[in-house]
Amino acid sequence: MENPQMPGQPMPAQPPPQQQPMPAQPQPQAGPAGGAPIAHEITHGPSFAMLRVDLQPGQTVIAEAGSMVARNQHVDMEVKMNAGRGAGFFAKLKAFFIAMIRKVVGGETFFVNHFSAPQPGSVWVAPTLSGQIAYRRMNGETLVLSSGAYVAHSGDIDLKMKFGGLKSLLMKEGAFMLEISGVGDLWFNSYGGIHAIDVNGTYVVDNGHLVGYEGNLTYTMKSAGGGMMGLVASGEGIVAEFSGQGRVYIQSRNLSSLVSWLTGIMGG
Amino acid sequence: MQVEIGYRPAHSMARVMLQPNEAVVAESGAMVGMSTNVHMQTQSGGLMKGLKRMFGGESFFRNTFTAQGAAGEVLLAQSLPGDMVTLDMTPNGYFIQSSSYVASTPNVNIETKVGGFRSFFAGEGVFILKATAEGPGQCLVGAFGGIQELVCDGNLVIDTGHLVCWDSTLEYSVGKSGAGWIASFLSGEGLVCHFRGQGRIWIQTRNPSEYGTTVGRMLPPAG
Repeated sequence: MENPQMPGQPMPAQPPPQQQPMPAQPQPQAGPAGGAPIAHEITHGPSFAMLRVDLQPGQTVIAEAGSMVARNQHVDMEVKMNAGRGAGFFAKLKAFFIAMIRKVVGGETFFVNHFSAPQPGSVWVAPTLSGQIAYRRMNGETLVLSSGAYVAHSGDIDLKMKFGGLKSLLMKEGAFMLEISGVGDLWFNSYGGIHAIDVNGTYVVDNGHLVGYEGNLTYTMKSAGGGMMGLVASGEGIVAEFSGQGRVYIQSRNLSSLVSWLTGIMGG
Repeated sequence: MQVEIGYRPAHSMARVMLQPNEAVVAESGAMVGMSTNVHMQTQSGGLMKGLKRMFGGESFFRNTFTAQGAAGEVLLAQSLPGDMVTLDMTPNGYFIQSSSYVASTPNVNIETKVGGFRSFFAGEGVFILKATAEGPGQCLVGAFGGIQELVCDGNLVIDTGHLVCWDSTLEYSVGKSGAGWIASFLSGEGLVCHFRGQGRIWIQTRNPSEYGTTVGRMLPPAG
């Protein structure tokens, strides 16, 4: 990492605990918006994290298609296309097209599985790549995740697929971002460990390491060293410069670096 | 045989300590290091048995390591990053996903079985191993990612790509994960294993073939 400065959070010397420190969670009250937080446990972090969600009758957890490891037999699984809650016909059509484009572009399709239990039951979920899972209780704020980072959610949460615009095409990842808002539980994953950075002012993050950021932050894409020379020679490629006040999540490894390393040794 | 597993969970390695003239059987290629008085013998157990093993996704050969004259040790590791666990043999034995087998005491009989995983596109699990032993023995299995032991009390449904091994007291059947084939396909869960009865199941927190497919399709075609 080119910038040794870590405002907000010191780099953990020890392997981080199963869960990153998160903003204080609200105490479950009688009928809070988005439902009470769902009982869950994240195990086997930071390298091979797996999430177990313990469902009570009436609770539903929604997870990315294909991520289920195991479930109790009586836990119902229903596959749905994620078009956002209460989406109209055109919104659904749009979601369908985005799902198809993403399939072609090489992302996952955006089908999700709804798990619910008529009697208490568990479902175990794990991402494909090695890495950590983080939990965050959403309280009405907006979080933008890179599209591969989504694991699961519950409650009154809206997921919207966002095309990052032309500038995002410069980046290998992140042409599609996932905008998450509402009240409820959210689980997301990283390739490598998840590191939270509390930005107050500005901060620069390598694009391939970006997991997500809070919606009140703004960013601009730029070359790390400034200009073409910096872009080509520094090996850092495109970076995102965030400004404002809010949290950025980064991952300690970068998938495109692994892929280009493998590509290099496979060549010839 | 005494087993000590270090470097868990990401890059586990087993140190097998053998008494004089004690032996351990290991999957070909699993040996990392050994004492000089440990003698290695390669055996296929007969052509047919070897071929059957190959179909089962393991290697044709297995190696027997014997400590000669004095105590000795063998270090064993699997090829993928992940955890390992030692199973104490039970009267009923275990079913083991074939790529998870690492080593066992010589009295453990390992048979390759057709898993009843009817589908040919299952990827894993068309063949599985059944480990049985008369009397006490041990079996060492490895996983891709972390290992989690689940206790099946009635019913559990598990993705076939995440299975490591399970008590053979459990009844199992392989099927689609959703209500219909289309729903199963869209759900992305592929094939799942339905378990009934009482017993333990060990799962791995990552799916090797899914990982390989995901990384593989980002690579240029091999030439």
